[in-house]
Amino acid sequence: MGLNYYQIKKNVLQARKLVIRGTSIAGSGHPGGSFSMAEIMGCIFYNHLKYDPKNPEWDGRDKLILSKGHASPGLFSNMAVAGYFEESQLDTLRQFGSKLQGHPDLKCPGVEFCGGSLGIGLSYSIGNALAAKLDQKDTHIFTVMGDGESDEGQVWEAAMTAAKYNVDNLTLILDRNFIQQDSYTEKIMPLDESLDDNELSEMWKDASRWKTGDKWRSFGWNVIEVDGHRIEQVSDAISRAKSVKGMPSIIIARTIKGKAVEHMEDNPQWHGKAPALSLVPVINQELDSQFMIAPSIIAGDMRNLENEVKRCDDGRADYIHLDVMDGQFVPNSTFDHTKIKELRSLTVTPFDTHLMINEPVKQIQNYIDAGSDIITVHAEVCDESSFGEIHDLLKSNKVSVGLAINPDTSMPDWSKKFISTLDQIIVMSVVPGKSGQKYIENTHEKTKNLMINLKENDFTGYIESDGGVTLDNIGECFTDGARAFVGGSAIIGQTDVRLVIREFRNQVLRTRRKLLIQKANELGGTELVNKWIDLHVIGKKKDELHQIAMELGYQ
Amino acid sequence: MSAEFGDMRTAYGSALIELGEQDKNIVVLGADTTDSLKTSGFGKNFPDRFFNVGIAEANLVSVAAGLAYSGKTSFASTYAIFLPGRCVDQIRNSIAYPSRGEKKGLNVKLVTSHGGLSVGPDGGSHQTIEDIAIMRVIPNMKVIIPADAIAVSKLTKNISQIYGPFYMRMARSKVPNVHSDSQEFEIGKGITLRDGNDCTIAATGITVKMALDAADKLQQDGISCRVIDCFTIKPIDKDILEKAARETGGIVTCEEHNIMGGFGSAVSEVVSEIYPVPIRRIGAQDMFGESARDAEIPQLLEKHGITSINIEKTVKDIRSKQ
Repeated sequence: MGLNYYQIKKNVLQARKLVIRGTSIAGSGHPGGSFSMAEIMGCIFYNHLKYDPKNPEWDGRDKLILSKGHASPGLFSNMAVAGYFEESQLDTLRQFGSKLQGHPDLKCPGVEFCGGSLGIGLSYSIGNALAAKLDQKDTHIFTVMGDGESDEGQVWEAAMTAAKYNVDNLTLILDRNFIQQDSYTEKIMPLDESLDDNELSEMWKDASRWKTGDKWRSFGWNVIEVDGHRIEQVSDAISRAKSVKGMPSIIIARTIKGKAVEHMEDNPQWHGKAPALSLVPVINQELDSQFMIAPSIIAGDMRNLENEVKRCDDGRADYIHLDVMDGQFVPNSTFDHTKIKELRSLTVTPFDTHLMINEPVKQIQNYIDAGSDIITVHAEVCDESSFGEIHDLLKSNKVSVGLAINPDTSMPDWSKKFISTLDQIIVMSVVPGKSGQKYIENTHEKTKNLMINLKENDFTGYIESDGGVTLDNIGECFTDGARAFVGGSAIIGQTDVRLVIREFRNQVLRTRRKLLIQKANELGGTELVNKWIDLHVIGKKKDELHQIAMELGYQ
Repeated sequence: MSAEFGDMRTAYGSALIELGEQDKNIVVLGADTTDSLKTSGFGKNFPDRFFNVGIAEANLVSVAAGLAYSGKTSFASTYAIFLPGRCVDQIRNSIAYPSRGEKKGLNVKLVTSHGGLSVGPDGGSHQTIEDIAIMRVIPNMKVIIPADAIAVSKLTKNISQIYGPFYMRMARSKVPNVHSDSQEFEIGKGITLRDGNDCTIAATGITVKMALDAADKLQQDGISCRVIDCFTIKPIDKDILEKAARETGGIVTCEEHNIMGGFGSAVSEVVSEIYPVPIRRIGAQDMFGESARDAEIPQLLEKHGITSINIEKTVKDIRSKQ
């Protein structure tokens, strides 16, 4: 399909919601492993796999083999989003007579493999890949395997076979979520190294402790390792894997079991358990509350933006915010598309290009060509016609579309017709032009009101807060409705970018937890609040949630 | 009566080459036993369509399944002990279970050799007496055991033309021919080799020859035995068994397999439901095999009662109960 970053992200979100819907109604199923591979499946389905949902047996299709068959809700939900069947079909998951069986089954058109018994999918994929070669077909096989599944000896029989036959029309993606049914993989059967304590997160972060890649390399495979929740990394890895000829490729995608729902994350209990129906609205709100941190590199060393990009990557920024100033729309000038093009080769992290320039319509193609993922132009220098042109050009080039408004402007009337297809709206909370200004307080009110208006007009994008966002006000910005946060001097201006981004995230998470507790209270009072809190068994979250609930007067 | 001997594996290998020439969708897979199974000849003729996956039977089965899902007719072969016994999960889940519409299971033919006790010197570890039982309880799986090299040759071609999973078991040693070159084989139809009305001997695999020998001896004693080659164990020929039950009043089954769960059990299931008559099962007596040099194989079989003399005795015994 070849969707862009935002579109994939939205589809992944929708698929996650369907997993919750399906498993909660079924009363059983495997949300944990469905969520760890959510972005992997999103990248396969919406950026790489060739298929026709209306003609599942189309001869020219690629094949997706879900070897970790228990994560079938994660497959079926994407098939629904992709158009194989109605989303309401997920309501029949695991029920008598449904084509959506407990594990993927050929009974469901579009499913290519009967999963369930682990360790088989790679061998089966090799068979399909060999057949495609014999038939001289341009079929690519995408195989998603679990890490617990790697305990199976057959996996390694298959690994040798793929290397022997130079199976390069197959990309294996290992959903390395570190958890299997009984416990952490490194406790049950270590792939990296044995885990004595429960400090999974430490191992996740420490590349020197990862041995899985070495195993596959020694079996003759091309190995690519990525953060399996970063769409841009997974998608880029698949492209690279496909370009390697003469040997099989594996992408080891480090993931988090239960990713995107805090109480499920890294919690072995959620390997195979369905969420309670009563909590589904709270979970959905949590899923809807994803957020992105976007450091603005102009707040750093303008003579060495290459290094600033590296600092963003090392700091795990979600986007890199690129402020383009032309010295006319704003008094300062920064850089133009030529610089962006230079920086593009350094990273796959999405470029969030913010054009503070006059007559953007004349320049827009240059910024598309430079490799921007999102381009935002200012409402003040557009009208319906020029923005329409920009909007269509961006959409046709698969670049996400943003519209920005200054502190003293509001969304123009002409923007209404574009709202439902906008990916991003930047609400400037300082006068644009330079870094280091203070957040203008009335932007909170402005954002809240805008949010109400946007919802009425079917906005599905994200509001980005830009200007003066700090640890002190990011929580409130989130409460207002903003989901992306630009950080200039508050992030890039700091020595340890990774630490400060983590602090920003934690601050948002604290706010988010509070909003979710409020939601639980609204739906079911103290009883539901307590039920919600009791789910949070990993780490110290439960104590924090109790504290929040007490402060809110719910306990 | 002296019979001509034929080698089942050679017949299988030759049939595969013939099939390979006619149909480019035929692929053959092996697991480091391809010279022994005589599939390596296919590999020399069609190297692109021949996959030797090494000593990795589970992988063999599932790679064959993947090829079949993509439209190939896969023949996967190794010794009987290593296929049903070792890989029942892969056979069940990657070959027999996957079904779409009218296509039940994937188009994989599991063809093994070294079935039963007559493997000889390799000993009990290699003498599979459980494969019929294992394979016949798997839905969508068809099970056939040819009696001689002529049957192997014809049935190999036969099953290549019928969609779906098959298990076909061959013996290690050369076996005497019991069929004529013109014999036709139809899956689901047993073959009456000798007519008779006093009793029926239903046999499968190498025991068909023993059944014929027993029938000859019994004829001398004035007992006319019907002999049926039940090469098709699943689907089993219910009609021929019902007819035998009605017309001869008793059935002795013979197989180179545990009497529990195997061919004799299959016959008993059918006959007891349709037209109950006395049945005696000859086969491995729920005991494992053991080493026996080639010349001693008859002794090993005798230990389990798998001999024409025991068939003879059993027919007389069953007639005394009729």
